[in-house]
Amino acid sequence: MRRPLALLAIAACVTAVVAYQVTRPARAESDPRVFVPSAQFFEDFSPSFRTSIADAYYLYMVQYYGEHVETDQRLDSMADLVDLVTRLSPRFTKAYQFGTFALLDADEGARAYAILQRGVEANPEDWGLPALAGFLVYGFGEGAEKERIAAEWYARAAAIEGSPIYLDRLAATLTAKGGEEEKAALMWAQVYADGDKYSREKAVAALDGLLPEGKEERMRAVAPLAETMPEAMFEELLAALFEDYL
Amino acid sequence: MNQVAAIALNTFRETIRDRVLTVIVLFALVMIVAGLWLGSISLEQQGRMMKDFGLVAVTVFGVIVAAFIAATLVRKEVEKRTVFVLFSKPVSRAAFVVGKFLGLAATLAAVVGGMGLFLFVLTLLVGGGASGMVLVATALIYLQVLTVVAVVVFFSTVTSAILASMLGLGVFVAGQLSHNVLSLSRVGAGAITEAVSWVVFVVIPNFNAVDVKAAAVGEMTVDWGSVALWAGYLVAYMAVALAAASFVMRRKEF
Amino acid sequence: MSPTSPEAQHLVSLSGVTKTVHVGLRRRPVTILRGVDLAVEHGDVFGLIGPNGAGKTTTVKVLLGLMAPSGGSVDLRLRGLGAVGYLPENPYFYDYLSGREFLSFCARLFGLGAGERKARADRLLRDVGLEAAADVHLRKYSKGMLQRIGIAQALINDPHLVLLDEPMTGLDPIGRLEVKRIIQRLHDEGRTVLFNSHILADVEELCTRIAVMKGGRIVWGGTVAEALTDSPEGLEAFFMRVVGDERPGVSGDERARVPGGEPDEVAGDGQPEVAAGETPS
Repeated sequence: MRRPLALLAIAACVTAVVAYQVTRPARAESDPRVFVPSAQFFEDFSPSFRTSIADAYYLYMVQYYGEHVETDQRLDSMADLVDLVTRLSPRFTKAYQFGTFALLDADEGARAYAILQRGVEANPEDWGLPALAGFLVYGFGEGAEKERIAAEWYARAAAIEGSPIYLDRLAATLTAKGGEEEKAALMWAQVYADGDKYSREKAVAALDGLLPEGKEERMRAVAPLAETMPEAMFEELLAALFEDYL
Repeated sequence: MNQVAAIALNTFRETIRDRVLTVIVLFALVMIVAGLWLGSISLEQQGRMMKDFGLVAVTVFGVIVAAFIAATLVRKEVEKRTVFVLFSKPVSRAAFVVGKFLGLAATLAAVVGGMGLFLFVLTLLVGGGASGMVLVATALIYLQVLTVVAVVVFFSTVTSAILASMLGLGVFVAGQLSHNVLSLSRVGAGAITEAVSWVVFVVIPNFNAVDVKAAAVGEMTVDWGSVALWAGYLVAYMAVALAAASFVMRRKEF
Repeated sequence: MSPTSPEAQHLVSLSGVTKTVHVGLRRRPVTILRGVDLAVEHGDVFGLIGPNGAGKTTTVKVLLGLMAPSGGSVDLRLRGLGAVGYLPENPYFYDYLSGREFLSFCARLFGLGAGERKARADRLLRDVGLEAAADVHLRKYSKGMLQRIGIAQALINDPHLVLLDEPMTGLDPIGRLEVKRIIQRLHDEGRTVLFNSHILADVEELCTRIAVMKGGRIVWGGTVAEALTDSPEGLEAFFMRVVGDERPGVSGDERARVPGGEPDEVAGDGQPEVAAGETPS
């Protein structure tokens, strides 16, 4: 007699718990402002676990972004979160990348740029972060200098071993846009020297546009480019730039 | 030496057959595998999440096993009066303490090493840059866990098992903060504060100095010379704790 | 009626041994031994008898070095503990080991090599009749089996002196008989045996010499024959006379029915009473 009663009581409890879980009102809107401790706090109190804490906050940050970008569009604490994660784990490149785009959504380009600059310093062998900085400055920056600064970031990225050749082209293009035509010409010549067939075609087209029209002036402007490549290659470039060179 | 080996082997048998150990290890393995699930919401950072959280699991469970099993090592023999069998034979108190310690050390080598290897193989399977650093970090976690064992063995000779476990966990936590104590000794808050802080810094094992978990996710460049020195320091620390435990045991009557 | 006096040929001699322990937070001193003089000769089967709390177990522990004496001297004319075997009272052994593993472990504590360990374990398992249970974990052993494996471990080093603390307590009649046979055999092999007991029938049957303890002192020592000359009605009567009835007006039979457990060895002021249930029937 007691056993069926006990079973009944347990069944009732289980039903009640499940019913509550299923029917309880949807979770209340979460507050976009969350408490983010300082990185120094964790550095002081658990240096051995700082990357694990960074990872935990990284996962939280991804969740926080997903939750708010789709609902209230408020990402008040995003910058603090990105800052915390990247300070605890300065070599966590994915966190800078994700953070940059999330902060653009949060309308905090300046914070993103500052954090990214830290990332570049902490990860000198990574070309992705300076390239991202270039993208950030060119795409979202303001002011007359932005092409020049973006070009510098791309050039910095392009100088890192293993970086793709398109970074050199981007750097050269933006340098030209920034008004430094002589420097741009040199950069394009470098692209010509280092690049594949496609890059060379691009370089020739770009140089064609950059260099003066008149044969004499063009000849003078082209001369310094000889420094950037072997003689035979330079001959080829000249042939491409001067219709009647041969 | 023979006595130490006999007691160590017996302790290894005792602890490795402990059901609690099996449960904790299974739970730890589940936690490590749970890293996979966490990785799935990490935007292609599975490898990193797995290594990082996995090593935390190895540390936490290793320390828990160490603290709780070590506390009962000596006490159980005293309470169940098996010490009568040992000490009525030509077994010194020091051989007893060292044998018990080495036996649990062997068990923990299997437990912590097993978890580390499991984690390593898992990162190898999942991809995301399996790194031998996971194994190196595990070895150094093992060293920290052993230090906790030595400390708990000492405490268990002077206090109850549960208190010894708690004190052992406390020492582990304090060992994470020991550099803060050192900075306290430099703030110039008075000669006494400085002296006390310095003593506390010396007494508490410095675990941060041998922790290379961050290196497994490429977050630090390890100064191996310094790690080796600090590892030696921890070994000496254990020797001192065990010597103190032997000393207390020598004065005990049964 | 004089305490046994130490002589030159004695294997074991205690003279004037005292032991005081401090109990509780206030470190209250409790005296357990008040000057024990005891001598055991080669080849003796020596019975140490006395009421609970008389200090029998403490005497054995002092002898073994498990406790340090507060005063007096202990002389064990043997090469250290290597030649002593000891069975503790109510022995508990590693229950996760099999009988064979346990004996091998004990042999190893004496530094014996693998071959010797196996040979001795096998022989002792046979001697104590545990061959069939050799590979069974000790947690599955009965009380009698534990007592026998306990005796086996006490003999693993082929000792000259065997100390058995209450070897018969808690055993059924068959178990008692088996243990008695083992003690008899040890005697026949020429070993010296010292055992504590309050089962006087066994003492009478097995011992060559006895000492009666009371209140931390040896109050009588001599041969069983001497005791029986003193009290022809038997050792029990002799014992009652030596120990004395501390509760006049209460007969032995009635005392046996007095409820309550046995007092602790260290309880009280070191002058323990004769407790209920311990009077031999």
